[in-house]
Amino acid sequence: MSAPVLVRPAGDGGGPVVAVQPGAHVLRGVSAGPSLADHRRRTPPPPALPLADLVARVRDVDVRGRGGAGFPFAAKLEATAGAGRRREVVVNLSEGEPVSFKDAALALTRPHLVLDGAVLAARALGSRVVHVVLPGDRAGVAAAVRRAVDERGHEDDRVRWRLHRAEGRFVAGQAHAVVELMSGRPNLPVTGWQPVALHGYRGRPTLLSNAETFAHVALLAGEHRAAYAGAGTGEEPGTRLLTLDGDGERPTVTEVAHGTPWEDLLTDEALDGPVLVGGYHGTWAAPGALRGVTVSRTAMAAAGLSLGAGVVLPLSPGDCPVHRTAGIVAYLAGQSARRCGPCRHGLPALADAVRATDRGIDLSARAGALAGVVTGRGACAHPDGTARTVTSMLAAFGDEVAAHASGGCGYRPPRLVARSGGSGR
Amino acid sequence: MTGPFLWYANRGTGVVLLVLLTATTLLGVLATHGAAGGRVPRFLTQAVHRSLSLACAALLLAHVTTAVVDEYVDIRWWQAVVPVGATYRPLWLGLGTVAFDLVLVVVATSLLRARLPHRAWRPVHVSAYACWVLSVVHGLGIGTDASSPWARTTGLVCVVAVGLAAGLRVTGLGVARLRRSRAATADALLVTGAGR
Amino acid sequence: MSARLRVDWPACRGRGLCAEVLPELVSLDEWGYPVVHGDVPEDLVGLAREAARTCPTLALRLVGSR
Repeated sequence: MSAPVLVRPAGDGGGPVVAVQPGAHVLRGVSAGPSLADHRRRTPPPPALPLADLVARVRDVDVRGRGGAGFPFAAKLEATAGAGRRREVVVNLSEGEPVSFKDAALALTRPHLVLDGAVLAARALGSRVVHVVLPGDRAGVAAAVRRAVDERGHEDDRVRWRLHRAEGRFVAGQAHAVVELMSGRPNLPVTGWQPVALHGYRGRPTLLSNAETFAHVALLAGEHRAAYAGAGTGEEPGTRLLTLDGDGERPTVTEVAHGTPWEDLLTDEALDGPVLVGGYHGTWAAPGALRGVTVSRTAMAAAGLSLGAGVVLPLSPGDCPVHRTAGIVAYLAGQSARRCGPCRHGLPALADAVRATDRGIDLSARAGALAGVVTGRGACAHPDGTARTVTSMLAAFGDEVAAHASGGCGYRPPRLVARSGGSGR
Repeated sequence: MTGPFLWYANRGTGVVLLVLLTATTLLGVLATHGAAGGRVPRFLTQAVHRSLSLACAALLLAHVTTAVVDEYVDIRWWQAVVPVGATYRPLWLGLGTVAFDLVLVVVATSLLRARLPHRAWRPVHVSAYACWVLSVVHGLGIGTDASSPWARTTGLVCVVAVGLAAGLRVTGLGVARLRRSRAATADALLVTGAGR
Repeated sequence: MSARLRVDWPACRGRGLCAEVLPELVSLDEWGYPVVHGDVPEDLVGLAREAARTCPTLALRLVGSR
C-alpha cells in the first residue's frame, strides 16, 4: 500500500493532520496532487450527458448519498428534474461532524473529481450555477476548494460557481439549513414541508448532495466506469470513503469497496472493543459485533448497525463507551439550534441522564424514554441521531450500565471512575 | 336627524365599548397563559375572545354610526376613517378614528388568520394594545361623561386591568414559573434517581 | 392518503391548546410540547382542523385531507 498523503483540514493554523490513503477509484492518484492539471492527466473533462443517461448510469451502480442518510441518488435526480424547470445544484462540503474528514480529504486531494461530478449533474439538469457549501471551521478545506474553482476558470462553459460558507456547527450541513444559508438567513434548520429536492433554494427543485456523492458520480462518466462498477459486490457495487479515527492516532481516510470485511480494516484489538460506527449520530458496535460483518449497507443493517457518514471510532483500551456517549451527547446537546422545543429541552435532559448513568446514578430508563420522546419531533434529524446513539449504547452495553450503577466500570481503571453520591455502593 | 336618543346611544356605546374592549384584551392574554389542564380550557377563552371582539366591532360600528348620523355635532362619514380634517374636537376625534382604523385591520387580519403567515399576523394583532390606549384617551378627551365619578372609576379599573395583563405578557411570568417547576421536577429525578 | 397532524417545530411555543382541543390524539411532553399519536381518523378530522385553528402560533397543520 503506498504511503498516505497528509493533509491539514484546518489549514496552516493547526488542527489535526489527516492521512489520506490512496485508493483505486475515488482516491486514485491522490499522491499526484490536487491541481487541475494533475487531475486532467487522469480524468478527462466531464461530457454533457443527457439526464436519462446519467440517471441510468447512477441507477446501475446504485449510488447512494454519502452524507449519512444514504438516499438513492438516481431517485433524487429524477425527483429534482420532475419538480420544475429551473433546477439548482448544491455540493455540500460543510462536513459539520467534527470527527469526519472524508469530505475534507476529497477537497484537499481530489477537489476536481467532486466538481466534475457536480458539473455532470448540472448539465444533465440544465442548471447554470453550481453552489458549493464550504465548512466554516476548516480554513484549509475552504481555501483548497476556492483554489480549485479558480483553476477551472471557464473550463466548464456555461456553468458558474457560487461558494457559500457554512457556520461552524454540527447542524450547519442539514439540507434546509443549507438552503437557509444560501438565502441569506441564519444557517439553521427550518421546518421542511417538502424535501429540498422538490422545493429548495428560491423555491426551486434543488439537487443538494454530499461532496463525496458527486465524486462517485464523476467516476461514472468516462472509461473508469466499468472498473468502478466492478468493485464492491453484485448488490452493492462501488466503494465508499471511511474516516478511521482511532483514539490517539491520526485520523485516516480510506476508500473501501463495499463488501470488505471489517477484519480487513480494523485491528483485532479494535474489533474486540466497542466501536462507534457512523459518527456522533451513529450506532455502537459491541465488542466483537463487527466480526463477520462487512462494510455494506445491508450487512450492517442486519447487524443492527448503520454506516452513517462513514466515521469509524474504535475505543482505545481503558476508554468506556458509556462515558464516551455521555461526552458525545453533551456535545450534541450544545449543538442544538435551539429552535425546536423537544430538542432544546430534551437533548440537555438526555445528556444529564446519560452523564448521571455514567457516574453511577442509573437513569438509563429515563435516557431511553427521553430518546424516544425527542425522536421525530424537530425540524431536523439532530435529536433523532442523538437518540440513536444513546439507544444503541443502552442496547449494546446493558451490562456496562449495570456495572456503573454499582459504582464500577468494566473499561476504565478504578481510580478514574467518578464516584456518585452514595447510591449503589 | 337628531335627538337625544342618538346622543345617548353614542355615549352609551362608548362606555360599554371601554369595558368590553378591556375584557377582550384580558381574554386575549389569558387565552395563551399558563398550562394545559386548568379548569377552563384555553380554547374556550380564545373562542370567547374572538366572539367578544366581533361583538365589540359591531358595537363600534353603532358608536361610529350614531356619531355621524346625529346632526347635533358635525361629524362626516369620511371622518370615521380619516383622522385629520374634522371640525368637531379634531384631536380627540382623530384618536378615535385611528383606533377604529386599527380595529378594522386587526379584525380583518384575524378573520383571515389561517391564510396569513403568522409572522405577518402577529405585529398587526399586537397593535390592538395601542388601539386600546387610543380608545381610552379618545374617551377621556371627547367623552361627555369623562369627568363623572362612575366613569372615572370604570376607566381606572380598566386601565389597571389591561396594565396587569400587559405586564403578565411582557414578563412571561406564568410561563417562566411553569418552566422552572418543570425543571425542578427533572432535577429531583436526577437527585433521587427516581428514573429507575 | 390519510390525514396527519404535523407540527412546525420552530414555531411551536408549547402553549398546549392543541392538547386541550384534541386530547384523543395530542398529549404534552414534560416541557409542554405536543406529542401526536398516530394519524387522524375520519371522525376526528373536524376537531383536528379546529386544533390547528386554535394554535396561537399556527404551528399545527393538518395535512393530507380535503
